[in-house]
Amino acid sequence: MVSELSYLEILRLALPETALVITALVVLASDLLALRKDSLSVRLGFCASLAVLGCVAAGVLLVMASGAGDVGGGMFVVTPLIRLVKLGVLAMAVPALLVSAQGRFTTHAGEYVALILFAVVGMMFLVSAEDLLMVFVALEMTSLSLYVLTAFHKREVGSAEAALKYFLFGGMSAALALFGFSLLYGLTGSTNLNEMAQGVGVHASDPLLVVALIGVLAGLGFKVAVVPFHLWAPDVYQGAPTPSAALIATGSKVASFFILAKLMMVGLAGSEGSAAWGRYGSGWVLALAIAAAASMILGNLAALAQSSVKRLLAYSAIAHAGYVSLAILSNDSAGLTALLYYVFVYGLATMGAFAVVSVVEQQTGGDRLEDFTGLARRAPVLALGLLVFLLSLAGIPPLAGFFGKFYVFAAAAGAEAGLGLFWLVILGIAMSVVSLYYYLMVLKRAYVQEPGEEVAKFRVNGVATATVAILALAVVILGCFPDWILHRIATALG
Amino acid sequence: MTWIARNLWLIPALPLVASGLTALMSRRRRGWAAALAIGSLGISFLLALCAFAAALGQGGEHGPFREVVNFDWFQFGGQWLQLGWVLDPLTALMVVMVTLVGLLIFIFSVGYMAEDENFTRFFCFLSLFAAAMLGVVIANSLLLFFICWELVGLTSYLLIGFWYHKPSAAAAAKKAFITTRIGDLGLLLGMVWLYAESGTLLFYNGGAGCLEQGALTAMLVKGTAAGMAVSTGIGLLVFLGAVGKSGQVPLHVWLPDAMEGPTPVSALIHAATMVAAGVFLVARVYPLMAVGGGVGQGVPVTTVLTVVTWIGAATALFAASVAVAQNDIKRILAYSTVSQLGYMMMGLGVGGVAVGMFHLITHAFFKALLFLGSGSVIHGCHHEQDVRRMGGLKGFMPVTFVTYAIGMLALAGFPLVFSGFWSKDEILHAAHGWSVSHWPFYMGLAGAFLTAFYMTRQVALVFFGKYRGAEQAGGQGREQGSAGEAAHTHHSSTPSLHHSSFAPHESPSVMTGPLMVLAVFAVALGWFGTPAWPWFEAFLNGHSAEVELGKLFSGGFLGLALLSTLIVFAGLGLGWWLYGRRTRAGAEEPDVMEQARPDLWALLKNKFFVDELYEATVIRGNAWVSRACHLADRWVLGGAVQLIAWLATGVAWVDRVVDEFVINLGFDGGCRGLRESGGFFARLQQGRVQPYLRALGWGVVVLVIVLMVWRD
Repeated sequence: MVSELSYLEILRLALPETALVITALVVLASDLLALRKDSLSVRLGFCASLAVLGCVAAGVLLVMASGAGDVGGGMFVVTPLIRLVKLGVLAMAVPALLVSAQGRFTTHAGEYVALILFAVVGMMFLVSAEDLLMVFVALEMTSLSLYVLTAFHKREVGSAEAALKYFLFGGMSAALALFGFSLLYGLTGSTNLNEMAQGVGVHASDPLLVVALIGVLAGLGFKVAVVPFHLWAPDVYQGAPTPSAALIATGSKVASFFILAKLMMVGLAGSEGSAAWGRYGSGWVLALAIAAAASMILGNLAALAQSSVKRLLAYSAIAHAGYVSLAILSNDSAGLTALLYYVFVYGLATMGAFAVVSVVEQQTGGDRLEDFTGLARRAPVLALGLLVFLLSLAGIPPLAGFFGKFYVFAAAAGAEAGLGLFWLVILGIAMSVVSLYYYLMVLKRAYVQEPGEEVAKFRVNGVATATVAILALAVVILGCFPDWILHRIATALG
Repeated sequence: MTWIARNLWLIPALPLVASGLTALMSRRRRGWAAALAIGSLGISFLLALCAFAAALGQGGEHGPFREVVNFDWFQFGGQWLQLGWVLDPLTALMVVMVTLVGLLIFIFSVGYMAEDENFTRFFCFLSLFAAAMLGVVIANSLLLFFICWELVGLTSYLLIGFWYHKPSAAAAAKKAFITTRIGDLGLLLGMVWLYAESGTLLFYNGGAGCLEQGALTAMLVKGTAAGMAVSTGIGLLVFLGAVGKSGQVPLHVWLPDAMEGPTPVSALIHAATMVAAGVFLVARVYPLMAVGGGVGQGVPVTTVLTVVTWIGAATALFAASVAVAQNDIKRILAYSTVSQLGYMMMGLGVGGVAVGMFHLITHAFFKALLFLGSGSVIHGCHHEQDVRRMGGLKGFMPVTFVTYAIGMLALAGFPLVFSGFWSKDEILHAAHGWSVSHWPFYMGLAGAFLTAFYMTRQVALVFFGKYRGAEQAGGQGREQGSAGEAAHTHHSSTPSLHHSSFAPHESPSVMTGPLMVLAVFAVALGWFGTPAWPWFEAFLNGHSAEVELGKLFSGGFLGLALLSTLIVFAGLGLGWWLYGRRTRAGAEEPDVMEQARPDLWALLKNKFFVDELYEATVIRGNAWVSRACHLADRWVLGGAVQLIAWLATGVAWVDRVVDEFVINLGFDGGCRGLRESGGFFARLQQGRVQPYLRALGWGVVVLVIVLMVWRD
């Protein structure tokens, strides 16, 4: 297997990743060698724009590529769908980079930007992996970069604490995942997802398989933050520098959800079980259904009590992870389409919300609800953007989030015969209603409550405003024309 | 397909962009706001001219010229919902009219609103209105039409209530919105029904549209429960929308109150364009309303068109009689607008699209002229609107006077020279030939007489005699509240009372310029629709017009023309005899007619007590129902919601307790040793990581157990 590797083929298929790695190295070199004496904003601006260029180049390479390829029997697979998901990851990385360019939390501009790029490369490899070993390596590459990115606010003790928690939690999850992987290999004799699925079918009733699949679920559930693997999220979102948190919340989510769906739908095919009301059967569908239900309940209810907006977004992320899991539960192509659409528009809206939070944090020094008071007066464009993002997250038509929820719920409702998963859909809809409350709580601060004496306008950088405006526009447009993405996903799915 | 048909969407898109940009602008950039609005509408006007040129002389044997662009919007079920736009003579005429009148009114507004602090917002709304109105005009789908129609309604609401700090304006805005909404409900129901029957909302789609032969025949053949054809039912529902928007009886009550808005708004929205949208809607779906009405032998007669005619005729007469007894210069014009819209509806019913649309176009110009003229008068008289307090203005405001007189003569239908004569005569002519009844014809004649009378009264009171406003100059304490008529001052700056000279003054040229342009059109447009050269009708129907002077003297036309001339002169004469010969002595003196017949005067002055009737029936009834609903809502539904809310709060509280105390702290007691070894973490700000990890472990264990249990 290994001896037949064609290095030229690898290079051809991994050209976008290669471009990103080269960009990261150039960024590091230029910051360390050429820009030593320049001011921080120049260095950050230069590094970030270089990185954005790299991302755009990688995106262009992805768009121009065609056909499919597979290196090393699932080690690195490229299909039109995978290219689309990678484009989605890059689309999240660009605004994250633009937001980092505004940050003033570190003096290590080159390292920070390069690490973002490395994390993105990790996510792209993760998306391409169809082999357990490669999944694990890519997962670790992403996670390690993200741990460091979380700790980057060196003067802030919260940042270090968050990173340590993230790291410990991640380490334990990775251990569980590796344990699960090893059991799977032991049971089936293969690490390739497709071959593994056949073995799983044979051993469907083996108790070891249950332990294995829970281990796998723990490893990936940690990345997507479903209950009970969510505990790190609030602390990390709050403690990490905002651009890092934004990347964790968006790009990493896109890649992780895709690979979670692939592992479950492809790798564990044959041990689905059932989560239909009253007809439960042991398998990954049941495990994920429990996690999804718990996430929707806990995420939404806990968000009600938050006073830090980043923490609120973290609990909202947990809730959204629950909704997205519904799409995986439907276990068909409609579900996969819904999942990709949902994750993408969720990423856009979350990225936008973090971009706004980042500006507010810089101007007021905090991200508590009080800091958003009177935002509509102080920065009208940002407030309007925040309105669009939060309402999209709440699922208000005609914004993109509404169609995302609609497709996810429709896929889940239609998946099992006799509306078996309908209880989850009802739970999801009920919890969406709850979520409206805390999103509106933020918007009420921004729009309704009068600011106190200090009504000074924010001095908002043009790039930040443009980023927010473009993201908001994208959310609105994708809501008005959902078909624009759905059509592409459907074509890529074949 | 011509390039302009492909790019017709640009015409509404430009004002829309202007509106969006203005909305984001700072309030201080007044110049930019006006320039954006006027510039974008100017370009739209040029594009509209291109569209008009493209439609000119293009008709063929297959009926009028028509190009449509349809596109998919989104999919539901197995069907695609399509939207699109259409370029045909009807669209071409309307886009030119809307953009031209709009452009002139925008320019006028620069002068009129110069002192308002919300100048920028005003232009934002105006541009949004123009965009929506143009969207209505070009729409080739009833859905797109409806969307734009509602947007038009929204902007009308926003602009009527532009001075929202004034309770009367806020109330008028609400009234306009709610009243038209009643009509819109009919339109919505008609639209849904139409979709259910024909499976499409596109008007024209190469034979598959809902206004094309196939769908029409199907709807005509199919009957409803009451023995009515489906097409009749849909037609009546759609017409209900037109009744609301065009202020026809019985939904006319909002239009006079809408005069609370700034005068350019009244001119643009409540005279020239939006209120005419109802008439335009009927013209647009005319094939649906006329289907089954005897094809080939002249004007079709169907149930729907008969209803349209009667409603129109009733409105024309009713509103004209109310206009006689009003004292607010804008309210007189408002009732006149209602009355003229009635004429248009009647024209559509008895004479077809060309007859009604011709009056729509001519009316748009001369009524915009009259409203802007009244705006100029109001501006010149320091925001006085009561005609009893004006008088003698022809010396103070010569340009306004001359242009206003032209508009007034056009509205009254002064023979031969003015456009109103030709368009109104055509309606009367068609009504005379209507096979169902002669009554609409007589009602139209009576309305024409009243129109000439009340306009003479208005002009005599405003421009002739001596200026009566000066008597208030000394006493500032005049009551502001008199029926909400006279309190229209800008809230920001009060230029009126402390003015050095209280005499009226002519308006600046930015305001008189549009008046002069409109005056030219108020005269000249009539020449395009005379019986001798029926260009207008020919253009709409797609054939070419020939000059036949002989038709002017043919018996049918000549007799009617003489009759209507006689009637107009009678109205003008009576008006002048009562109001022009001897001018009022002072503002407080009772009206001549009031002295003669106080009972009749009171009836007219109070608009036949329609508002009071609605107050006593519809509104009171609605209040009762809403009170009952409120009680039910409060005790039944509210109780349930409250219960659920308590439950949710309880669960959230439990959850929070679990999250904070059980997970974060719950293991403290049992795990002292572990906690001490992790003292490093204890010093960190909050939340301990060991319980986190423990929770993770427990989660895994629980999941494994659950899956084991359910294993079969």
